[in-house]
Amino acid sequence: MKDIFKTGLILLIISVIAAMSLALTNEVTKDKIIEQRAMANELAKMQVLPEATRFEDVTGEMATEIIENYAPIVEAYIGYGSSDEIVGYVFKSKPTGFGGPMDVVTGINLNSEVTGLRVGSHQETPGLGAKGTDAAYYEQYAGKSAAELIGVSKTAASGNDIQAITGATITSDAITVGANASIDAFHMIIEQGGVGN
Amino acid sequence: MNIKNFTNGLIKENPIFVQLLGMCPTLAVTTSAVNGIGMGLATTAVLISSNAVISILRKFIPAKVRIPAFVVIIASFVTIVGMLMEAFTPSLFTALGLFIPLIVVNCIILARAESFAYKNGLVASLMDGAGMGLGFTLGLFVLGSVRELFGNGTIFDVSLLGANYKPALIMILPPGAFLALGILLALYNVVQIKSSK
Repeated sequence: MKDIFKTGLILLIISVIAAMSLALTNEVTKDKIIEQRAMANELAKMQVLPEATRFEDVTGEMATEIIENYAPIVEAYIGYGSSDEIVGYVFKSKPTGFGGPMDVVTGINLNSEVTGLRVGSHQETPGLGAKGTDAAYYEQYAGKSAAELIGVSKTAASGNDIQAITGATITSDAITVGANASIDAFHMIIEQGGVGN
Repeated sequence: MNIKNFTNGLIKENPIFVQLLGMCPTLAVTTSAVNGIGMGLATTAVLISSNAVISILRKFIPAKVRIPAFVVIIASFVTIVGMLMEAFTPSLFTALGLFIPLIVVNCIILARAESFAYKNGLVASLMDGAGMGLGFTLGLFVLGSVRELFGNGTIFDVSLLGANYKPALIMILPPGAFLALGILLALYNVVQIKSSK
């Protein structure tokens, strides 16, 4: 009987110390982690719309309209240049690839040109769909015209088509769905006279 | 004597090729040489720390509750390492973050705690942790290199088999993990049997 109390007590002490050190570490790191995640998000926006120096979220009715009618877009941002003028828009979309949802960030400037695209977290097959995160693939989107939709070609890139990743057409299609939804949403924003100040 | 504790884990009692420990992360992450090294080093860090703590506490932890005590200690360590890395070394975390939670379920750590650290002194346990960890890293690196070479024609993203090589994609898909591990185990045994004759 006494033995049970003793062993139980020791296990309790170990667990309490473990819980306390976890709580302490969490206290020290949580703000820093939130900051790091925000920075990574900000960095992705900068990469796809290099002309912009700061970003603001699209909010209110416009945000609701974009998310409701331009799936798979989940977030939209306005990019401002150095003298506070709007230079373009960035859209974050979550199209479904081969292994599940993927994060696709697309930037479009006011000249109706796709300025960049990045693939964030995804669960695509390593060596196949995961090549969507390689520069050789995503750089194909930069410089494409947003006046028309981007197509996917299995053989060679031409005109407004990008070349699909060999053996991963589903992934290539999914990323392009994200890019094209962004193009559609961009035109809607422009037709409505833009958002932001 | 301490040197032997260290070298044991490298070849003679290699965690992957001899003890067949930690097969789940081994098969899952070895799609490339870089992934193998990342997972291996992260595991080594946790293995050394958990071996040290358990060795220090070995007289305090009652035999009846040693397994729950080990699990609490190991899981706390892994979580703390993960949080600290995300907060202070974000670039390292992007590279290794995927592997950190996987370490909790790695049975090497529990196996070394139970069969070595609980019965031996601090220095010997540190040596054992380092040796086993590096042996695990070596095994993962070999497996990852073989799979990357045949599945993608590269090692560390450096092309080795020329542009005309058509990659055997199966090697970087899940079945390739079993194929490569089986063949490597057979080769390892052939060498062991020959050298003991």
